[in-house]
Amino acid sequence: MASTLPYRPSNENLSTNPKTNGLPRLSPAPSFIGRSPSGSHSSTRRTSAEPGTGYKPRRCKSQYPVDSSERHVEYILVASFHIDRGPIMEHQYPAAISGDESMLAELMLPDQTHVRSQDWTIFFLHKDTSGDDDEEGEVGKKKKKRKSKYRGNEEGADIQHENPDEASEEESSDDDEEGGEGPPLMYVLNLVNTKQDNTVRRGAVVKAMAICTRHSFLHIYKPLLLLALEDYFKSPYPETLASLYDAVNSMDLSLMPKMSILERHILQSSNTKEMFIEKFEQMIRQREEEEREDVECPPSPKKLSRHVLPRDTHEFESKVVYHDIPIPVKIPTVIWPETVGDFSLVKLIQTGPFTHPIVVLVNAILTQKRVIFLGHNRPSGEVAEAVLAACALASGGILRGFTRHAFPYTDLTKIDDLLKVPGFIAGVTNPTFENHPEWWDVLCDLPTGRMKISSHVESAPVTEGLLFFQQQNALLPNHNSHAHSDPTGDNLFMQDILRSIANRHGENAIRAKWRAYITKFVRVAAAFEETVYGASNLYIIGPGEELSPDSPTGQQTDAADPSSLRGHGYVWPDEMAKQRELSASVSRIEGWRNTRSYYSYIQDIAAMYFPARPIQRPDLHHHHDRLRALKLSHAESAAIYMALSHAVKDYAGVCQLLTVAPENQAGLFYISMGLFHPDQVVREATVELLDRIASHPAGRHFWAHLSRFAKLGYFRVKRDRDAAQSPISGAGSPTINNAGASFGGEPQSLVGVALGDSMSRRS
Amino acid sequence: MGGQVSKMMGKIFGTKEMRILMLGLDAAGKTTILYKLKLSNQDVTTIPTVGFNVESVTYKNVKFNVWDVGGQDKIRPLWRHYYSGTQGLIFVVDSSDTARLEEARSELHKIINDREMKDALLLVFANKQDVTGHLSPEEITQQLQLTKLKDKLWYVAPSVATDGTGIFEGLAWLSNNVKTQPQK
Repeated sequence: MASTLPYRPSNENLSTNPKTNGLPRLSPAPSFIGRSPSGSHSSTRRTSAEPGTGYKPRRCKSQYPVDSSERHVEYILVASFHIDRGPIMEHQYPAAISGDESMLAELMLPDQTHVRSQDWTIFFLHKDTSGDDDEEGEVGKKKKKRKSKYRGNEEGADIQHENPDEASEEESSDDDEEGGEGPPLMYVLNLVNTKQDNTVRRGAVVKAMAICTRHSFLHIYKPLLLLALEDYFKSPYPETLASLYDAVNSMDLSLMPKMSILERHILQSSNTKEMFIEKFEQMIRQREEEEREDVECPPSPKKLSRHVLPRDTHEFESKVVYHDIPIPVKIPTVIWPETVGDFSLVKLIQTGPFTHPIVVLVNAILTQKRVIFLGHNRPSGEVAEAVLAACALASGGILRGFTRHAFPYTDLTKIDDLLKVPGFIAGVTNPTFENHPEWWDVLCDLPTGRMKISSHVESAPVTEGLLFFQQQNALLPNHNSHAHSDPTGDNLFMQDILRSIANRHGENAIRAKWRAYITKFVRVAAAFEETVYGASNLYIIGPGEELSPDSPTGQQTDAADPSSLRGHGYVWPDEMAKQRELSASVSRIEGWRNTRSYYSYIQDIAAMYFPARPIQRPDLHHHHDRLRALKLSHAESAAIYMALSHAVKDYAGVCQLLTVAPENQAGLFYISMGLFHPDQVVREATVELLDRIASHPAGRHFWAHLSRFAKLGYFRVKRDRDAAQSPISGAGSPTINNAGASFGGEPQSLVGVALGDSMSRRS
Repeated sequence: MGGQVSKMMGKIFGTKEMRILMLGLDAAGKTTILYKLKLSNQDVTTIPTVGFNVESVTYKNVKFNVWDVGGQDKIRPLWRHYYSGTQGLIFVVDSSDTARLEEARSELHKIINDREMKDALLLVFANKQDVTGHLSPEEITQQLQLTKLKDKLWYVAPSVATDGTGIFEGLAWLSNNVKTQPQK
């Protein structure tokens, strides 16, 4: 199939990971094994506390288990600016980090640090975890432990007793952290202080302290670095580093539940503060049970009450106790690849007169250009944040490979290394970079918000796709470029983003929109490849589906199985719109097709095939889009509703459906329209589907947000059905036929939710 | 628009722009000179430069964009990145630090032998003329072996950066000798 494409593994590491090399070799079948469409298995998914039902929920795993050999923080470093020698490293704890010590010290003392009393920087280290470049025994040992831990997850004996989608959930979280190009990056958060001091030669002391971690939420350590660096000025000894190291590594995140990729997707695109609260409840319950079982430590009522549920499930609250001062920290529950630190997309988008240039920036990054953010006379932390935001922008949490080639803060000392990287995003404060257009393709000047294209940029090469659409456009009748000034929808998209920012929808909403934008980009690119090359690397075709742009969408391959509905990929209202958009996207798609993020994405969809798409057939996204974007005949929409109702049965399936119907778009609206279909069978199938969604831990919030109109439609269909089944009892009190509700949801609760009555679930 | 007007004014009144790079060993007085040029009547106290400073100074109708780059030996290899487009080099010498004059000579010759610096004017500030044991501008000229230079316009100006003595004289020499070609 797609392997006939001109698919070339990148020169980086692709071949080193045979498991995820290219397209999946597994047959899709295993994901269905052991998965009953309804009943007992699925009901175990219901995680809310229901003592007395005799049902024991499956163990919920921690994102950061107590017994993990991984430390939150691996190294603490201190550097200073020596007045005779320049930047030097003073101390490293617990051991010397391998690599070029003076290079590190230079990064820790950013340009012009002498003109401000305090500055933050972030930079990344590409530190191998294999241990062979580590001289220090201790470090080497730790790395080996890390490696074996990953192996344990893949081959762990306990997994064999669990059902397949649990195993694939495991896989998903690990792939997310580890996949791509080699070991996880080491993120460094650095604080530098300049203290004027007349008692020392040349009048000032400049010192910097840095925290090195593999967690991308490094910003939480800011208050700690402030305290510890202050302490270090008073007592410049390794003990100061040690006490910080011990404090941050004692932080307890063990009650933070692990989530599958679909759950993370749902949580991130939702504003509901209680989304997946059940998982947090269960983590606490498990902990309390463990404590009760622990004979050494008899339970006390005091102890049990110390675990509190998060106020907002998007964040996990914990604390770090440093020198007896408890410092509260909030850890994001959902961490996407390429999301590092606490940058703001809103801030980046609002920088100067960018706006449309933001799309230019994203295109530059997607096509792997060399991008520099210059902030002369700005703190280096500011350029670092812009770089991190730009990475997240282009990634959308979907594409990766940007942070790995990002230099949130860098300076002239690293220029030779920087120029060896084909395509980078770098932050600098030194305006001399502007005088070297041979070093970059795009330069974003943060103080003015101007974006410069280098005089050295070459025009895009002529590619197969370009020629294809040149021919197509020549054939198109009445080709009028003025009538469609925004064929890619980029202008509309940016207007929508700016409106969201103006209406203060918040950072999370903007990130969700960018995620949708990148999702669309990838789907359009897949359609592009199918159109131009006849097949795509970017989409794994479902079983029974034909790999052809002319694949008859909306027909069943198996007349007896409604879920065998054909069709896949992005949906355009008509063929002209499709041609226009593909034609307008030629250069960025072709420019993307040879990049690191393109090849990583191909690896990722193969690795994430089952976790991200428990339902391979039908293509939920495609058919939900058809409901949304097309004027369908009754028969066509009936086929979609029947397919959805037949295919979406279990917990993971509902999760998948929810990811294609996010709350910030229309939620369940298009699905609920099935309640008003002229065919009674379709209406009842939709009721069953909605029942399953409403009794799903995440789906219940979507159901709650559904309009009253749709809910009334739901009850009317139910009443009609019940009336037909038992004409005597009439339609007085709706009783829910629980056959289709597969999560053990009590009928009463559903009515309660439907009528806007908040359930008293959290006792 | 505004830029065009000021360019026209420049043509009428002969305003020139000049990119100046100021280098020298650490603690020679570069940053003090820069800020004494910028803030002529104020006392200047400086601390070691991490990276660089850059300021614009207008003197006698010439707008000098002066780059002052830190001088610790480890960061001297970075100097070359500032060469491109430089019209004048100010090399600052601590005239009292006789022990390091040979080091200064070697660094200076490395800079001016670079292809990108071949057209740049060379102004040497024989700084710290107020410190006992300092060498005279003539002795500095000799120590730095400036007379060996061919095809190079150079000048050694005595200075006391901390009170501003001599620094504007040095600048005047630069503005008198800069080619009238406008900076691109």
